[in-house]
Amino acid sequence: MIKRRTFVKNVGIAVAGMPIVLNNIKYQPIQKKLFNYNKSAEDRVLVIVRLNGGNDGLNTVIPLDQYDNLVIQRQNILIPENQLLDLNQNNLALHPSMTGMKNMFEGGQLGIIQNVGYPDQNRSHFRSMDIWSTGKMDPFEHSGWLGRHFDEKYPGYPDDYPNEDYPDPFAISMGYSVSETCQGLLSNFSHAVSNPFDAYNLTENQGLDDGTYFGSHMAYLSNLIMQSNAYGSQINAAANAGNTLSSLYDANNPIAVQLRYVAQMISGGLKTKVYILNLDGFDTHNAQVSSTSVLTGRHADLMKTLSDALAAFQDDLNLLGLSHRVAGFTFSEFGRQVASNASRGTDHGDAAPMFLFGECISSQIIGPNPVISDTIQNQEAVPMQIDFRDVYASLLKDWFLVPESDIEPLFEHTVQYINLLGACNLGVDDLAKNKDGLTLFPNPATDRTNLRFEADGDSYTLQVIDMNGRTVLEPFSGRTLSGEQTIPLETYDLKAGFYTVRLYSRKAVKAVKLIIAD
Amino acid sequence: MPSSVINPPTNHSLSPYTGAWTNAQAAHLLRRSLFGPSFQQINQVTSDGLDAAIAQLMIIPAIGQPLTYDPAETIATFGQPWQNSPYPTDVEAAQECDTARAKSLGAWLMQRINNEGMSIAEKMCFFWHNHFAAILSFDQRSSYNYFDLIRQHALGNFKTLIKEMTNNTNMLEFLNGATNTFYSPNENYAREFLELYTIGKGIQIGPGDYSNYTEEDVAAGAKIFTGYTVEGLRSSTYTSVNTIYVPLYHDNSTKQLSYHFNSEVIASAGPVEYSNYIDVVFQQNEVAYFISRKLYRFFVNHELTEEVEQNIIPAMAAIMIANDYEIQPVVEALLKSQHFYDANLIGSAIRSPLEMLFSMFNCTGTTINFDLATTSDMYISLYYLGDTMGQGYGTPPSVSGWPAYYQAPNFTKLWVNGTHLKNRTWLAYYFTLATGLDVNGEILKIQTIPFLNGLSNPANANNVIDDIIRVFLPKPISAAQRQILKFILLGGQPDFEWTIQYNEYLAAPTDPTYYLPIQQKVELTLFQLFQMPEYHTV
Repeated sequence: MIKRRTFVKNVGIAVAGMPIVLNNIKYQPIQKKLFNYNKSAEDRVLVIVRLNGGNDGLNTVIPLDQYDNLVIQRQNILIPENQLLDLNQNNLALHPSMTGMKNMFEGGQLGIIQNVGYPDQNRSHFRSMDIWSTGKMDPFEHSGWLGRHFDEKYPGYPDDYPNEDYPDPFAISMGYSVSETCQGLLSNFSHAVSNPFDAYNLTENQGLDDGTYFGSHMAYLSNLIMQSNAYGSQINAAANAGNTLSSLYDANNPIAVQLRYVAQMISGGLKTKVYILNLDGFDTHNAQVSSTSVLTGRHADLMKTLSDALAAFQDDLNLLGLSHRVAGFTFSEFGRQVASNASRGTDHGDAAPMFLFGECISSQIIGPNPVISDTIQNQEAVPMQIDFRDVYASLLKDWFLVPESDIEPLFEHTVQYINLLGACNLGVDDLAKNKDGLTLFPNPATDRTNLRFEADGDSYTLQVIDMNGRTVLEPFSGRTLSGEQTIPLETYDLKAGFYTVRLYSRKAVKAVKLIIAD
Repeated sequence: MPSSVINPPTNHSLSPYTGAWTNAQAAHLLRRSLFGPSFQQINQVTSDGLDAAIAQLMIIPAIGQPLTYDPAETIATFGQPWQNSPYPTDVEAAQECDTARAKSLGAWLMQRINNEGMSIAEKMCFFWHNHFAAILSFDQRSSYNYFDLIRQHALGNFKTLIKEMTNNTNMLEFLNGATNTFYSPNENYAREFLELYTIGKGIQIGPGDYSNYTEEDVAAGAKIFTGYTVEGLRSSTYTSVNTIYVPLYHDNSTKQLSYHFNSEVIASAGPVEYSNYIDVVFQQNEVAYFISRKLYRFFVNHELTEEVEQNIIPAMAAIMIANDYEIQPVVEALLKSQHFYDANLIGSAIRSPLEMLFSMFNCTGTTINFDLATTSDMYISLYYLGDTMGQGYGTPPSVSGWPAYYQAPNFTKLWVNGTHLKNRTWLAYYFTLATGLDVNGEILKIQTIPFLNGLSNPANANNVIDDIIRVFLPKPISAAQRQILKFILLGGQPDFEWTIQYNEYLAAPTDPTYYLPIQQKVELTLFQLFQMPEYHTV
């Protein structure tokens, strides 16, 4: 598709006087409590970044163990192996433009779910985005997957919303349109916000619902005006009360600008649970890489835009002390075909990787690397291994702590849960072992906690590491007996925040996250 | 919140409407056929009757070309067309020149809407732009080719239009037809051709089988369409952007279509092969159904109820098939039908941003008639405002067009949300009470005084309010709402004060002490009306 062109360049003239765009962003340093852990999911935020057009997963997360076959399939767009950003895990590397996300990965704040898609992939943008938005394969489904979740929790919406208990919009769609993922039975749960600093005040005026289509519009518009005023003033107040601290945001990066607004609103106390952002331009049928270098071109620009923006946002969350409350993911309607075409592009394909980000990701790489064939086959694409609906269901379970009995009716298949964002849920299920077989209790802790593990008579060193990688505590070093051991950790000196408890032995390094609450 | 139960239309006949013909029916017809009818147009259609109105609406008037006005255009002469001028050799200068041409093109599109007259032309052109939702080229001569083609066939033959569209320079660029060759087939156009342009995608009934076609048909189509490419883009020597056929690029194999097309075989036929293929696709009646549904959604209502599917769509498709895919007979039948005037369908759509914007101007007879540069800059500003509210003509959000025309369940409700409503309110304020759009010292505002003078009885406040409601709103409003509007018009004074004030103005029409208060009262009334939910419906 041709790069989008608009007329609006250099059309400053009349627009200068228009009150539509406001640039009164304030950055007032505010003193706030940096850390305030809450066991429940009520203050958790999910950020969704939609990569619109079908992102080329094989040029985003590159399986190095398949590189020789990728040369056969897509030589004209393939990035030289030595230019890729090696993640040093599972033979995976990132596109060279993604330095920001590589740093997030190294900091344990980025995860990759490989080969995500749905059965019988439909290669139309239109239909495929419908499937991803509704979370169902049923072509007659109109509600979004988050909309159905919200309908369960807040039946009757939008009647009597906002109200005293729920003064803020449940979801915010950054930009000018609401998100299909939030379409509920009666209304869309997302509120479109292009700039949270804009003030709202629309004249409220009750139209007559006469029972016809016209009447349904009257009801819709009247309610929208009332809601816009109410939600708008909340958003405006939060934006003005909020703050951002990262210096990494690029004012020319559209997603970075929007994510900064999101950080501003979250830090300002807005109780919105879901933020949805959109990045266009992934339909790279041609000129995915430039004619002069595979390192530049449209896909490289997109990867940089995404990576820089997410890195700035995560940096901001870390600095604001909000990293335990915010998690996010990226998705695209499909990946692209394995073989490139002669226009230095790729055509619509099937499965692709999703990114997860945040402090609370459970593991960094989920799913095996895609297997690339050594011969070019017509229209071949990466087959689906992880169903995107399982990802959605797992996010609801891990992040919003939705009971499985409430999740299952939202989808039409038998859900297979994957541990995606469970790393901060320790306080919820204290005595469960983590994936390394460690149990930390209580967690979150204040003055003292205990580590329980299965020892085999080896020597062990136990350390507590803070978010900057410094060892702040070494409660134990030496040999233990075989069998289940419990070691106490005196934590009263530690400031509130996130820590990693590491258990070193000659055979392995095991780790578990520790939360120190106020 | 939508009503839980919406009263559906009760009349499902496509046969001609024979009921009462009042200005309510006339206004409904015009609101759907135009971007914004004036009081005079509604009156004319009321007295002319349905048949005469349709006959007039179906005439596509001749229009001029976009004209050079921006100084960044260094090749074409000021005031002259640029469609046959090459680009500067310098890359930067060519970019600036293209921006100048894009502004000229955008201004031209807006000017056309503002001067639509009594013709369905502009609505049809937008219908096709949404159907073939291509974005602008990086060579505006190619964009012009695309808009020109649409207008040529706006009420013409659908099959002819799509044959020409297939090899239109902008479409070849947009969906990669220009790089779709024997050596490297690119499926982009072949897929959208079936999915979005002709037969439509049905439910997936098997692997790669979408009820009306299969993945094999997409792959075969891509091969069939090979051979055509584009020359002259951004060229400093070519005076136009052209489609050319390169035999070497064409895939000469025999293409096998699926059972959905009776397993037809498309023999290699070089430059006419695409046309043979399109003929085969159009043998499927589903094409007529598909385009009929889109016309219905665009002109009548977003919801295809079971009764509409059983009665209206088949009747439309039958007319289309009987007329070998001529569009005009179908549009005529639809706009003349009993179903179209069903009371439950009045006001069933939300005004699109461009309808909202141009209703303010077209309904009041406000056009822009300053010098070329000022006029063009004002139109491109209106373009920008439409774009800000979600309807950039020439920049549809996706290959599927604007979601308001296809996205269930909200459809045209998607034209408004909290942000858009706020922008709509600002706009209304801007062109009524505020200073208006200032370009080179000239001001664009709604021409309230000429609008007022053109109403049935401007000296009578009750008549003024009723006329304003008739012009702008699809249905009568409550007595309480009407009272608010009238109170604003009268400024709290009794009715006779309006008559006195108006007559004083008539006696001294250029005296600001008389015309300014009148103007301001009408502006206040319109601003209030533009904020009413009713104004956002059509």
